[in-house]
Amino acid sequence: MDGRKPILSVRDLVVKFDLRGRTLTAIRGASLDLLEGETLAIVGESGSGKSVFTKTFIGMLDQNGRVDSGSIEFEGADLAGYATEAEWLRVRGRKISMVFQDPMTALNPLRSIGRQIQEVVEMHRGMSGRQAELAAIELLDHVGIPDPVRRFRQFPHEFSGGMRQRVVIAIAMACKPRILICDEPTTALDVTIQAQILRLIKALQSDFGFTTIYITHDLGVVANVADRVAVMYAGQIVETGSAEDVFYDPRHPYTWALLSSLPQLGVKGKPLFSISGTPPNLFNEIKGDAFAPRNPRALRIDFELQPPMFQVSPGHQAATWLLDPRAPALEPPAAIQAMRARYPGGER
Amino acid sequence: MAKYMLKRLAQSVVTLFIVVTAVFLLMRLLPVEGYLGERYDKLSPEQREAILQKMGLLDPWYVQIGSFYSKLAHGDLGTSAIYRKDVPVLQVIAPRVPYSVRFGLVAMALSLAAGLAMGVHMARYKGRFWDRTWTVYIVLINAVPSAVYLLFIQLYGTDLLKVPLLFDKYKFQSWVLPAISMSLGGIAGYAMWMRRFMVDELNKDYIKLARAKGMTSSAIMVRHVMRNAYVPMAQYLPAAILATVSGSIYIESLYSIPGMGGLLVDVIQRQDNPMVQALVLIFSSIGILGLFLGDVLMAAFDPRIKFAKSEGAR
Amino acid sequence: MADGKAVAAGPPAAVVAKGDAAAGADPALFTFAEFDRDAGERIGWSNYSYWRSTLHMFLRNRVALFLLVLLGTILAFTFLQPLLPNQRSPTLINIDPATGRQFRNLVPSAEYWFGTNSIGQDLWSRIWSGTRTSLLIGIIVGVVEMVLGIAFGAIWGYVRKADRVFTEVYNVLNNIPTTIVLMLLAYIMRPSFQTMVIAMCAAGWHGVARFVRNQIVIIRDREYNLASRCLGTPTHRIIMKNLLPYLVSVIMLQTALSIPGTIGWEVFLTYIGIGLPVSIPSLGNLVNEGRLIMMAPELRYQLIFPTIVVSIITISFYVLGNAFSDASDPRNHV
Ligand SMILES: Nc1ncnc2c1ncn2[C@@H]1O[C@H](COP(=O)(O)OP(=O)(O)OP(=O)(O)O)[C@@H](O)[C@H]1O
Ligand SMILES: [Mg+2]
Repeated sequence: MDGRKPILSVRDLVVKFDLRGRTLTAIRGASLDLLEGETLAIVGESGSGKSVFTKTFIGMLDQNGRVDSGSIEFEGADLAGYATEAEWLRVRGRKISMVFQDPMTALNPLRSIGRQIQEVVEMHRGMSGRQAELAAIELLDHVGIPDPVRRFRQFPHEFSGGMRQRVVIAIAMACKPRILICDEPTTALDVTIQAQILRLIKALQSDFGFTTIYITHDLGVVANVADRVAVMYAGQIVETGSAEDVFYDPRHPYTWALLSSLPQLGVKGKPLFSISGTPPNLFNEIKGDAFAPRNPRALRIDFELQPPMFQVSPGHQAATWLLDPRAPALEPPAAIQAMRARYPGGER
Repeated sequence: MAKYMLKRLAQSVVTLFIVVTAVFLLMRLLPVEGYLGERYDKLSPEQREAILQKMGLLDPWYVQIGSFYSKLAHGDLGTSAIYRKDVPVLQVIAPRVPYSVRFGLVAMALSLAAGLAMGVHMARYKGRFWDRTWTVYIVLINAVPSAVYLLFIQLYGTDLLKVPLLFDKYKFQSWVLPAISMSLGGIAGYAMWMRRFMVDELNKDYIKLARAKGMTSSAIMVRHVMRNAYVPMAQYLPAAILATVSGSIYIESLYSIPGMGGLLVDVIQRQDNPMVQALVLIFSSIGILGLFLGDVLMAAFDPRIKFAKSEGAR
Repeated sequence: MADGKAVAAGPPAAVVAKGDAAAGADPALFTFAEFDRDAGERIGWSNYSYWRSTLHMFLRNRVALFLLVLLGTILAFTFLQPLLPNQRSPTLINIDPATGRQFRNLVPSAEYWFGTNSIGQDLWSRIWSGTRTSLLIGIIVGVVEMVLGIAFGAIWGYVRKADRVFTEVYNVLNNIPTTIVLMLLAYIMRPSFQTMVIAMCAAGWHGVARFVRNQIVIIRDREYNLASRCLGTPTHRIIMKNLLPYLVSVIMLQTALSIPGTIGWEVFLTYIGIGLPVSIPSLGNLVNEGRLIMMAPELRYQLIFPTIVVSIITISFYVLGNAFSDASDPRNHV
């Protein structure tokens, strides 16, 4: 991974929503580099802003939301400055595609599968009629739909959940995007199908060579697919690093807590670890480290000042005062240490 | 699909049968003297008895219903008792059908065209100026009794257009106000539902995907939102037919249009039982037919229907 | 694994800039803070009360608030008016003591605020009396429809075996235009207050039943109620906390909306001549009396006064019903 260029760079992104006269800050200065050709997983608890964050890359925030400040650099342009639909249409669905969580509702129930794919092909590849139809059938075939010619004429209700997700992926692939964002693409599917879809995305990635952002709650999936991991909390990226770094040498207390709550790390006979408290109210201004009130071993400074990103090792950063030279030494919780002991680094 | 249609048709026929029977039995609750009309005072009790006997009104109800159905099968709805004494009911009604049909169709077309356009417009500018403006119209039409505002439209509209208060079939201008009046309710209804369905569609997940595909918002509006909103709209077509039917009763009478609605008001006021019965049957049949057509339309539009419907009512 | 280039790919600029900000920070800050378990909860989202939010949303709607006050005043006045001094009976025919003739068609004046009608009755007191009658019909019909509708709708929704029968019956009733049902029933029975109430209830109850049934089915099968039941929540608690708030709002809306409808039908039936007898002043009778003489522009006040009152009442009920249902929809709450 070393030396790869970032294909997309986000700096200090702030996203706000207006909700009934009040303002909610959903993304509070998040920074991230997405490297060409990698698979990056974004993890974090529900409401931490994973979806909102990635939606800004294709200009699909809800009506009441806006990018308040920060930049999103992609192909030499700053996406954060895009305002009109015309500008976004150059990127959205052409260069950056998105696959959503629930394939059951992602397709228009009243139009045939074929037409919904054909529509994209016509729009982005300038084909029409029969030619576009053939291209759509080929896409269906490519994502592993058996008997694509017949399936082309069918309607979404005639497809199973896994098949529909394949169709959605085919739509996302239609114009050979450079970045594919998958927002929990397998959460709504059952486990065996999940694995198939993950394999499909991997296979397509090696065929088409795009970069993938993978949003998920499932750390098992992360371990399977991700090259790098970004941990998100309360609208900020609190730790990024290679999958090995984040799993075996996590530095942020929130990452510790997140990993400790993995069932695999639980000790038999002891209650499973769970993070106490609730995520902060995003309507309020947050002072210091957003995780501090829930962190049993928070420092005083965590309540005063927001920690900067500290470099742990090249490619591995975490935003916590624990990494400041002045901070007292603190060993991670036992579960994390146990994990570290299993580090397979020696084999590589 | 064909099976669903047949089932739905059978249902409509059964409904029609029940309605016809119910109306007939209800009309039997009226005092039989009503059938004698103005003659009542001039006749001796024996004469009255004889006439009623001859009309079959003194038979037990099941005999009456039997003969009613056998006559109905031959297209005989009885004869008028008062309005145009002894003239067959159908003969009284026939010349009035074209007026009602013409007004009904024009009003339907008007309300469809204007209502859908208004609904689309509202959804497009949801929460903004035009949405609010049309909402005021819809609130007024729904809240203020139609009997009231239609009256004012007649009063001031005829003034404005410089046409006589009452309908004159030879004057084109005098077709305008009644037709518009009949469509006002339909326009409000269609606009309201169309807006609601479009907003519903706009909030669905597949719109997100369509946007993520890189479709322009106008393409999404036309190809996805509007098309999908038409499907539930089809359900409201019959409601609009019913509204037009109801509207026509009042409006035809207001403007003295020689149609069936105006006739119904006339014969109710003059208590001509056979005429009331016949017209009530006709209007109910139109209602039943309208609902049937609405379901057929919806089935034609929605590919899911053959699956969903066979599992029972939603 | 480490090499200089990779560092450049990260966000080091941010690191340095922010690190500086803390450079002068008090070293004492780099010690552990005591942990307060509840602090983690307090930072969360404020607790939410359904009814308070509903009220809050409703009070924000200025138009609805205004109409509520207006309607409240009118309703109060309607019932207070006969108790005020110097009010005439709405059915009294006023006679000029000098000439012995009726005070016909007097335009509004200090004596007769809304004028008199074609047989010398005081329009002012007739309008309030008529409003009383019409509202009474509206409220009785609204309540009866609601009781019938909820009773049948609940059975329809909860007893799965009854579903088919009810659905068929409903289909039959729903296939007949309401206008026709009303006209037929009002025609068959003798014109009276009871006739009006019966006819309108008969025409409207099945719609309410259908509505209640649909709500019950939707709510019954909602995941959160299933979940709640699985967690062992007692039924009465589910009903109180999950079903009732929703149903109450829906029912309020339906009742509020049925009142303008009822008034409208009353005007219509009166027009046809099968409404209330002329001896009972009602909004329908007043509008109809006004209609008969509307061709004389100087007498149009007899049409306009009752229609203004009708419109204010129906619009208020309609807007209030909708405002309340909007406010009570949790999706609109913050
Ligand atoms: N349109 C909106 N208006 C107001 N707030 C919003 C809106 N969309 C998102 N939010 C808020 O932004 C925050 C982040 O939401 P987001 O959907 O990105 O979370 P997430 O990490 O994707 O969660 P999940 O894992 O459940 O999908 C949440 O607190 C949410 O309430
Ligand atoms: Mg999400």
